[in-house]
Amino acid sequence: MLVHIDGPWSPLLGRLALTEIPYKNPILVGTFLFAVVLAVVLVGLTTYFGFWRTLWRDWLTSVDHKKIGIMYILIGLVMLFRGFIDAVMMRTQQAMAVGPHSAGYLDAVHGYLTPYHFDQIYTAHGTIMILFAATPLLVGIMNILVPLQIGARDMAYPYLNAVSLWLTAAGAALVMASLFIGDFAHAGWFGIVPVMELPYSPGVGVDYWMWAFQLSSIGTTLGGINLLATIVKMRAPGMTWGRLPIFTWASLSANLISLTTFPVVTVALALLALDRYLGTHFYTAGLGGNLMLYNDLFWIWGHPEVYFVILPAFGMISEIIPTFAEKPLFGYMGMVVASLGIAGVSWGVWLHHFFTMAAAPAVNAFFSITTMAVGIPTGVKVFNWAFTMFRGRLRFDLPMMWASAALFFLLVGGLTGMMNAFATNDYMVHNSVFVVAHFHMMLLLIVYAIFGGVNYWFPKVFGFRLEQRFGRMFFWLFTAGTAVVFVPMFTLGFMGMTRRLDYVAFPQWQPLLDIEVVGIVIYVLSAAFLVAQLYVSLRDRAQNRVGADAWGTSRSLEWITHSPVPFYNFAVTPEVHARDERSWRHERGLDDAAPVVYEDIHMPCKTAIPLGLGALGFGLAFALVWRIWWLALLCSGAIVALIVIRAFMTGTSYTIPARDVEKMEHDRKRGAAKPARAQVPGGSPAPVLGGGT
Amino acid sequence: MRGFLRWGRARAVDSGAGGRWPRGPAGIGARRILRWLWPGTLLTGCAPATTRATFWMLDPKGVIAATQTHYLALDVLVMLFIIVPTGALIIGIMRRYRGGRGGAYDAHWDHSNAIEAVVWGIPIITVGILSYYSVKAIYAVDPNRPAVISRAAAAHPGRPPLDVDVISTDWQWVFLYPQQHIATVDRLVVPVGTPVRFRLTSATVVNDFYIPQLVGMIDVMPGMRVRQALIASRPGTYEGFSANYAGAGFSWMDFETRAVGRGVFRAWVKKVQGGSRRLTYAQFERVARPTIDVSAHVSYYAWVEPGLFRHVVTEVRDGKTYPTPMAMTENMTAYLQSRAAQASAH
Ligand code: HEM
Ligand SMILES: [Cu+2]
Ligand SMILES: [Cu+2]
Repeated sequence: MLVHIDGPWSPLLGRLALTEIPYKNPILVGTFLFAVVLAVVLVGLTTYFGFWRTLWRDWLTSVDHKKIGIMYILIGLVMLFRGFIDAVMMRTQQAMAVGPHSAGYLDAVHGYLTPYHFDQIYTAHGTIMILFAATPLLVGIMNILVPLQIGARDMAYPYLNAVSLWLTAAGAALVMASLFIGDFAHAGWFGIVPVMELPYSPGVGVDYWMWAFQLSSIGTTLGGINLLATIVKMRAPGMTWGRLPIFTWASLSANLISLTTFPVVTVALALLALDRYLGTHFYTAGLGGNLMLYNDLFWIWGHPEVYFVILPAFGMISEIIPTFAEKPLFGYMGMVVASLGIAGVSWGVWLHHFFTMAAAPAVNAFFSITTMAVGIPTGVKVFNWAFTMFRGRLRFDLPMMWASAALFFLLVGGLTGMMNAFATNDYMVHNSVFVVAHFHMMLLLIVYAIFGGVNYWFPKVFGFRLEQRFGRMFFWLFTAGTAVVFVPMFTLGFMGMTRRLDYVAFPQWQPLLDIEVVGIVIYVLSAAFLVAQLYVSLRDRAQNRVGADAWGTSRSLEWITHSPVPFYNFAVTPEVHARDERSWRHERGLDDAAPVVYEDIHMPCKTAIPLGLGALGFGLAFALVWRIWWLALLCSGAIVALIVIRAFMTGTSYTIPARDVEKMEHDRKRGAAKPARAQVPGGSPAPVLGGGT
Repeated sequence: MRGFLRWGRARAVDSGAGGRWPRGPAGIGARRILRWLWPGTLLTGCAPATTRATFWMLDPKGVIAATQTHYLALDVLVMLFIIVPTGALIIGIMRRYRGGRGGAYDAHWDHSNAIEAVVWGIPIITVGILSYYSVKAIYAVDPNRPAVISRAAAAHPGRPPLDVDVISTDWQWVFLYPQQHIATVDRLVVPVGTPVRFRLTSATVVNDFYIPQLVGMIDVMPGMRVRQALIASRPGTYEGFSANYAGAGFSWMDFETRAVGRGVFRAWVKKVQGGSRRLTYAQFERVARPTIDVSAHVSYYAWVEPGLFRHVVTEVRDGKTYPTPMAMTENMTAYLQSRAAQASAH
């Protein structure tokens, strides 16, 4: 029943053999050495600081939504770095491999990457940036914020939340493993059929891509269920739908998308797995296969996915601008309708990713119009942000700088998106670097919103603000890098350059490709300032401690609890009176109102099972990639066993008695009243910023 | 719907006079503005005369491409009409209300029915206008039955269309001329001012057939047949290539398109017919073996087995594939050396 595979296979190791380790490729060997050194340093530091115990007890086995969120963000940052390195390699290869006379190194005819290697790099870049950088970063932020914004103690299903995290981590680890064992897919981040079928991709690359994708998409589906249940069922008393913070509305819209569309991609990839493992013909060219089916299924997920990542970004911008305009969000209801509208329309536009497939004109016309319709709610959002600033008192602190710059990316990305949506334009630019530049504008909008959001909420989570001077330099350099990379890329699109070329046949494109490399260099320089910003922030954290309201003019519910947020979030479940609860209380002088009575708090216990499920998920996927059947069976069995065992476990939660809560709150008060030297080694008494302006 | 479309078509293209073929609708002015607006024009630092040669999108040389460019310019101008004022509005507000300097600070102002009506109204109207033009454009250049081509052909009934069958392989283009019984690999020659009708399929994976200055992209799919059409309005050499990733040799998958006078075309056909190589199905299978055409090699066939195109489609439907050997891309230099050795051994 199993499909026949060319090449060696053994029952013990499957397709895995020593030759699958790319020890002959100097680039990969270098990367491997770098990874080893990094691992040694990390292990060494952890041991030196005696951090292992904390690591295990407070992080790896935690079900606290804030810690899970932070771990999501860390995964996202690591993968962002990896994806960026991929980008550097692509830019340099394309600049080096122009024209028939360009030199070749390392087995390549032109440039230094063979097609085989280059194609894996851009596939990895796209897969990583969308699934393992943008998605985890945003899911992490939603994880931290949504329960805080609605006054909940945790997510609806804290254990499930940890399972989602570790499945995503397993997927990311699988992508990383493909660097050193075997290879990765070469068929693009969205998978091109029938290139992904066995005759055209006989190696394990597509299998790595497919199973990493599956792990993360299952994780995200579960996460979507969790967030939806949390928002629907866990709101504090008084938090009516009309008072829901706008970021929470954005998360709700986003997770409606993830819940309804991630299962589609799960099925699409499962059918691909059947083709590649059992020899069925879902997506093959012949024998009854229909490769267009894959495009439909994939993009029915793929398009909504891009809105899944942009909606939380919109939500963050909608939170940041009012704080720094010292005014409520303009047109709240309109924003809510627009968010849900974007989610709704996003289900009906997928065909714009293959306008060029020669569908009947009526079909292209329909999808062209629906796609342009997305521009309506998007446009409304831009106007509403502008009118939020209108009659305001604008302060351009770092979060506001990132958020307001994001608006301009939305203008450029929206303009170019509308150009692609106009189907006959798309016939010219589909598969060109113009499209690549379009979606990078949109993804950069997300990156800007994320940087803004991280700067904005960092003090809430860690209790101190990030340094601003290096932060500003990072902002300006990063923006300069963006301009220098993407203006030439748009221009190349007009010159007719298509995407995914590892050899560039037309020398007239050389100057602009060179300018793009300059932009990449600026990006690299900017990263130095980011590191400096983080370092200085950490060093001077004592001076930058903040009270509950880190910015003095914050508006929503999360700003009424302590910074950093205690593990139980709120001492007592807050009663919500207004849309902008913190402003409401501030105006009535209720900032420091202490609870009258404390109550017992019911909390989930930590557990190592999600970590185990993640590890087994990795094992299962790895076994399937290499067709090591015994290991696959073993891992599947263990997964089922763990799930069953967990289902019968009792005592998965505990109660903090009211007395203890009161004591912790009092200790905290006293600590805040006199920020003792003892508390901050070498520090001077820190002013409490914000709080009671 | 019908009437709406007919009205749309009637204005899409002005028919060219005499032997000159229309360069496209009266959108040249808009296009020129666009070219000057674009920062890249400044970036490349070239005079407009030379930028025209490199900005393929803005320099169409065929009826379909000209129509596309016209609508591109239209779309962009309508969008800029909205985007530029919006950007200006945002910048203006940011400057004016920075630090509350603009005065009139209102800590509670968050709603205005009038403004909300406008902010919903503007995008709705814009999208409405663009939708209208989009639909019009889709019918004008519909690859199955492009209205602009039908109309151009009707205006010049004396020029029967030329049929070309296109088969993409890994990683070359095979062009069959069924009326002339000849074939080429990686070279397309068409007569100027004559409608060219394509049927396209792939022997292996999906490609995009694309000649930026003549015609937009169309997916070339294995086991399926799609159509496309073009009219070249100026003689010249135009680059064509696959735009859709198709495997390791994809970057080298380009073909030159030569648009030549009709007399020159007839002479070229005669010359090719005088050759000796024959493209049978068996020979096609040899051509279709995975080949990275690094040296831009072109071949010509004086005779083609009748029904070859159809044969390729049915074979692919019946499960024929041309598998990619993994080794050929892992070490490209070695692969090319071995190929050269093979070639000299033959
Ligand atoms: C006004 C809203 C938008 C419109 C009208 C729009 C339109 C389009 C169209 C028509 C395409 C297909 C281009 C092609 O492949 O030929 C496309 C591609 C793409 N868009 Fe957008 N888009 C919009 C917003 C976004 C947003 C918000 C994101 C992401 C956050 C995004 C990300 C992408 C990506 C990733 C692709 C390309 C996928 C690929 O081929 O690799 N777009 N967009
Ligand atoms: Cu889309
Ligand atoms: Cu098809």
